[in-house]
Amino acid sequence: MSVRALAVGRMGWRWRLGRQPALVIGATILTVFVVAALLAPYISPYDPIAQDIEFRLQNPSWAHPFGTDNFGRDVFSRVIWGARIDLQIALLGVIFPFVIGTLVGTVAGFFGGIVDALLMRLIDVILAFPFLVLVLSIIAILGPGLGSFYIAMALVGWVSYARLIRAHVLVLKNSDYAIAAVSLGFSRSRIMFRHLLPNAIAGSVVFSMSDAVLVLLNGAAISYLGLGVQPPIAEWGIMVAEGQPFITTAWWITLFPGLSIVMLAFGFSLFGDALGDALGVKE
Amino acid sequence: MSASVLRVSDLAVGLHLPGREPRMLLDNVSLDLGKGEVLGLVGESGSGKSLFCRALVRLLPSENIRITEGRIMLGDRDLAKATEAEMLGVRGGRVGMIFQNPTSHLDPVMTIGDQLIEGIRYHQKLDGGAARREALAIARQVGFTEPERQLDSYAHEFSGGMRQRAMIGVALSCNPEILVADEPTTALDVTIQAQILQLLLDIRSERGLSIILITHDLGIVAQTCDRIAVMREGRIVEQGKKRDLLRSPAHSYTKALIGSHPSMPISAGEMTATPPSKAAATDKPLLEVEEVNVRFAGAGNLFGGRSGAVHAVADVSLKIMPGETVGIVGESGSGKSTLARAVLGLTPIASGNVTFDGTSLRHDRVAFLTRLRREAAMVFQDPYNALNPRLAIGQMLAEVLKVQARTPPDQIPTRVCELLDLVDLGHEFAGRRPRSMSGGQCQRAGIARALAVEPRLIIADESTAALDVTIQAQILDLFRVLKRKMNLTLLFIAHDLAIVRNLCDRVVVMRGGHIVEQGGSAQVFEHPADPYTQALIRAIPDIDPDKPLLPQAAREIA
Repeated sequence: MSVRALAVGRMGWRWRLGRQPALVIGATILTVFVVAALLAPYISPYDPIAQDIEFRLQNPSWAHPFGTDNFGRDVFSRVIWGARIDLQIALLGVIFPFVIGTLVGTVAGFFGGIVDALLMRLIDVILAFPFLVLVLSIIAILGPGLGSFYIAMALVGWVSYARLIRAHVLVLKNSDYAIAAVSLGFSRSRIMFRHLLPNAIAGSVVFSMSDAVLVLLNGAAISYLGLGVQPPIAEWGIMVAEGQPFITTAWWITLFPGLSIVMLAFGFSLFGDALGDALGVKE
Repeated sequence: MSASVLRVSDLAVGLHLPGREPRMLLDNVSLDLGKGEVLGLVGESGSGKSLFCRALVRLLPSENIRITEGRIMLGDRDLAKATEAEMLGVRGGRVGMIFQNPTSHLDPVMTIGDQLIEGIRYHQKLDGGAARREALAIARQVGFTEPERQLDSYAHEFSGGMRQRAMIGVALSCNPEILVADEPTTALDVTIQAQILQLLLDIRSERGLSIILITHDLGIVAQTCDRIAVMREGRIVEQGKKRDLLRSPAHSYTKALIGSHPSMPISAGEMTATPPSKAAATDKPLLEVEEVNVRFAGAGNLFGGRSGAVHAVADVSLKIMPGETVGIVGESGSGKSTLARAVLGLTPIASGNVTFDGTSLRHDRVAFLTRLRREAAMVFQDPYNALNPRLAIGQMLAEVLKVQARTPPDQIPTRVCELLDLVDLGHEFAGRRPRSMSGGQCQRAGIARALAVEPRLIIADESTAALDVTIQAQILDLFRVLKRKMNLTLLFIAHDLAIVRNLCDRVVVMRGGHIVEQGGSAQVFEHPADPYTQALIRAIPDIDPDKPLLPQAAREIA
């Protein structure tokens, strides 16, 4: 490629980014949180679980930018370490349902008939229960902890992905290229996973971004209820819960982790929108 | 014809993108339309004919597309300079438009009657009762059989032909002087097409309307228009009286268009190149269809009862000899595509048997399907929908070769190039995706995919229906060449009889799931025995204006 072509290519790239503020802002927010999480041990000024009773409930200051909590722990350091847990929640809480739902939806849509009917009724049953009630009961059975939370999300969250993918596969399996694939003697799994799925998945990828927001909020809610991450580990949901008794006197304990949840959710949401535009998904 | 009602001179329309050189989409277009005249505007997709019509009423598709030059004189008013408020009275009121796809241009939540009355009240300022009476008169004029009842129907309750009549009615409700018809019959079957064209001509003589008829089919123009203008790349390359232009075209493009019209007899050279079924008598058939029935269950109701099962293919028997080219023709809903899919084992058959080169579907379904998948292939109608949009052409072909496992893996890239050569696509197409290719190129890629199987039988389902005429002619030529080179047997399904006549040795005519007639091409087309076949053949718009489109042909079937 000539130098000129390269330059034009780069200009085109910048131009396109400039036209997509949602993508730029969303990606920036996500990057900031990911970097913070990765570099937590190096950039956090204090140990997130080290208690220092002398300095409890300190106002935000240069020494403690986000103040300290009722055990004298540095809120800023805890928010940074919390990013590790909360990003993990968003990631794992989405990946398992995504994979399960995609598989189930593809199979249901492709085979149709009794397989489809059974799977769809199962989904109806799951959808008949309020989401959080079902998640909470599963965690209650398995015992509190993040592992239980992921299992609960996987068991309940896949239904949305399954329905999304199934609807696309139902349409695509009647397209001429799918019929051509059958007439060329391609195996069922090849048709499903190489020809139908890649064309059906864009909508789910976009949905997974907005789903990450919900999972994040659910994770925080579960931790707030004491069923998720256990103290003293730093996680934004727990921090909000722990700061609650002091909300009138020490607002910073709840404000900063709360803001972090909102910002991360905002980042996922913007990035998901931009991704939808880029993949040509129409909602 | 008397004085002109519309006079377009030196019209230029350009695309002005910020920071780029303006690109001319229409350049130096001059046209006159006389009172009561039918002007045919002919050209392929992208030639600017639709854009021209939108420019007439200043409904350009984007703000960046602007009229830069020229005048559009409607009477003594220049539409190119009229204000937006003036244009509101012109659109519909003086220039009415009808489009190719009536479904998307009729309001689905308004009754046809209300849509007619709306135009009458707005443009003719009549009150409720008078408007209703006028709407009834228009409905009768466009051929509604029960106008009282049909005025209260919605668009989805009508067939395609009725919808097109309704749209013509809506255009007439504004009582225009000029009717612009943009490919009004392209989506319709030939017999319905003949009815709609006849309707346009009737309206012209009853109302003294001037009509601009946009089409890609020179046959339609030859049958209906007084004058013809040929467009290409935003310019009018030639215009003149119909007979003069068809008899002695001056521009090379017009000649090519006329030459590629499927109703033109093919040259003797091509005829001898495909000797009709040379060994038909001696060989046993490659494909034998015996009394095949295909039924689709109707929608079941709440209590499990199924009503309205469709008998898509009924007792069809057919023999195809090796090396033969057989055409199946019929209108939409005749079961021709269903038959093709049933033959390939893509749609289950209710009863009957299909035998492929001695292997019977009845006796050994698995062996039958295995052989078919390795020795038969299909080419589809919509070239874009037929290719996986995520795969490059090379990947797609390589996958077929890999699955068929007849080509050693290290030979696959060479074979992909050979396949591209066969369909006259450059090797660079291996890396391209369908999105970046034209319809004709995609169709060639689709044919390459069929050839990758090294098939003995190719079933082509409406494979040229979505293409422009000149591209259509190229694809048909490709089929002829491939057939000769590879000794293929071809089952060619089409609604366009003219194409089948030129390409096929034998023709099978289907209607309502039944075969109504079959026989050698020449015989069926020259001496059709069945009345339906006769009507179908007479409804083809011939490029020779002296072979009139018989309106009774259309009425016989209606």
